[in-house]
Amino acid sequence: MDKYIRNIYKGVYSVLVGMRITMRQFFEPNVTHQYPYEHDFEKKQNVREIPKGYRGQLYNRIEDCIGCKKCEMICPVDCITIQGDKLPKGEQLWDSMNVVHLKDGREIIGILDGDDKDINLEGSLTLTNTTSRLAPQEVIDRLEPSGDESRTQTISGDEVSRVVTRNPVVFYLDQFDIDMSLCMYCGLCTEVCPTECLVMKDSLEGIEYSKFDRTDLIFEFDKQEMYNKNDESSIEAAD
Amino acid sequence: MSDILPSSLFIQIQDASGNWASDFAENVIIPKIPHLPVELGTILVMLACAGIFVAVVPLLPLVLVLAERKVAARFQNRTGPMRVGPWGTLQTLADGIKLIFKEDFIPPQGDKLLFLLAPYVIFACSFAVFAAIPFGQNILVSDFNIGIFYIMAISSVIVMGVIMAGWSSNSKWSLLGSLRSAAQIVSYEIPLGLSILTVVMLVGSLGMKDIVATQENGFFSWLIFRSPFTFLAFFIFFISSIAEVNRTPFDLPEAESEIVAGFHTEYSGMRFALFFIAEYANMFAVSAIAVTLFLGGYEGILPGYDFLGGFPGFVIKTLGLVFLMMWLRWTLPRLRVDQLMNLCWKYFIPISFFNILGTGVWGLIFKTDDIWSIGISCTIIYVGLISAYALAGRVFSRKPAPQTS
Repeated sequence: MDKYIRNIYKGVYSVLVGMRITMRQFFEPNVTHQYPYEHDFEKKQNVREIPKGYRGQLYNRIEDCIGCKKCEMICPVDCITIQGDKLPKGEQLWDSMNVVHLKDGREIIGILDGDDKDINLEGSLTLTNTTSRLAPQEVIDRLEPSGDESRTQTISGDEVSRVVTRNPVVFYLDQFDIDMSLCMYCGLCTEVCPTECLVMKDSLEGIEYSKFDRTDLIFEFDKQEMYNKNDESSIEAAD
Repeated sequence: MSDILPSSLFIQIQDASGNWASDFAENVIIPKIPHLPVELGTILVMLACAGIFVAVVPLLPLVLVLAERKVAARFQNRTGPMRVGPWGTLQTLADGIKLIFKEDFIPPQGDKLLFLLAPYVIFACSFAVFAAIPFGQNILVSDFNIGIFYIMAISSVIVMGVIMAGWSSNSKWSLLGSLRSAAQIVSYEIPLGLSILTVVMLVGSLGMKDIVATQENGFFSWLIFRSPFTFLAFFIFFISSIAEVNRTPFDLPEAESEIVAGFHTEYSGMRFALFFIAEYANMFAVSAIAVTLFLGGYEGILPGYDFLGGFPGFVIKTLGLVFLMMWLRWTLPRLRVDQLMNLCWKYFIPISFFNILGTGVWGLIFKTDDIWSIGISCTIIYVGLISAYALAGRVFSRKPAPQTS
């Protein structure tokens, strides 16, 4: 009889303990991400950071691309298609310029005063002809010196993360397509890229691979309007 | 009987003799359709009411399946179905459409007639239960004087359908599942019936409306507080009814990790959907019966409460019990067959007999349910729970016996 009652006690008690545990779980926040619809992972709890060196979607900063076709050659699955040609001798799309990457993610494009070779980050940099844009993930607008001599910007060396010199562009890029349905994410193309303009994104933001048509997975990076210097309406300064 | 709301809103075939229906037929239908016999008109009215009921009740599983999935997801910190409709609210509809279009497979080696018949038996029986459940003051199909007895009887026929399904499938999983189900339901009918008997002994009637009518004086007049024995009986009834509707932790007949899907392994398409709908309808039905018998039915917490004939309160209480079932499902693992039988025969049935005895004595001492009897009963329940809580420490402080290997 003692054991009998003890059994009842134990049964009821363990059920109640279990129910308390599950009820605590009931009010925990959920861990599901509604992934393609929801990108603000930082707001969620229990989210692991995307590790460093994550190989995400291929992305070409077309304004830095020199059309060398090294990536096309090294790609093991031939997912990159490049078509372009050199401009006639003596012509160029724009002069050489400098891109100053700021630590807050902005980039300022212009022509540095003085020699590019010895940049002293301890002082301050002065750029003329500036055009600036916000984060590099934004849609690339036309990126070239604004052509306005009066636009001068002085930047403190503390804010600058790096300065890149961009050579005069002497070619014309018709097509730069990456077929992400073929890509195997080996990252070889980003290693051979001499200007480091072809990168793999390290975030999941804005990536949506589920499409009804496979041709929708071909990402086109050629910016025809970029070369159209006469199109004044597309000049936009984001600063 | 309150006539706050127009009775035409509700299904109201009050008496077994069909008085209301024949009145309605004589006064409303006959003037419009002359030369119609009164009897035929009465039958037409009854059929129309039944039609409304049969059309509305199957919507319940539609909601419950979604609720189950959402609650299950919540217990596991997930969100559940989210894609079909806003927050996945149309998921069950999409599943239903999918099931309708699936192939209706009949095992060639099985017993074809029984195989085709079994889902209908289960479906019909689990929906027939709803005929005797009073959802509100005027919302019930039929208030016959043997209501709870009818429910017991008709819900026991479900086991026939389960055995038919298991036998005719000609599959070892189905057969094992149906045999387990038979053993389980037959065993758990006993504590179920005995705990219903405690209520019937106190009320003195089998009619569902009579049982609810004795609980009309607010929270403490609910039958669960009427005597310490009904308090015990409520828990035995609730746990046994979980076993009766084959839900975890008593889901041996359809234990997916052991016997695929139990008795409905071989079913597909709409026939499978019938089993599924019947399962969730059963779940709601047993909760509704528990509410009617023990938790005041459509009567509310306050005595004067009469909002919409008590229908919202009834549904809230019933869904609370349904949630408790889901909560238990995600808390407890499945029992073994011997543990299942152990629980029933060694614990529930002796305690139920003790309950019957106690209720008889209680009924002799307190002839009416006045304030004294309820006060004493509530005091006993309270003192019992407190002392059980206090003793728990002593029970668990003992060291467990050394294990012999």
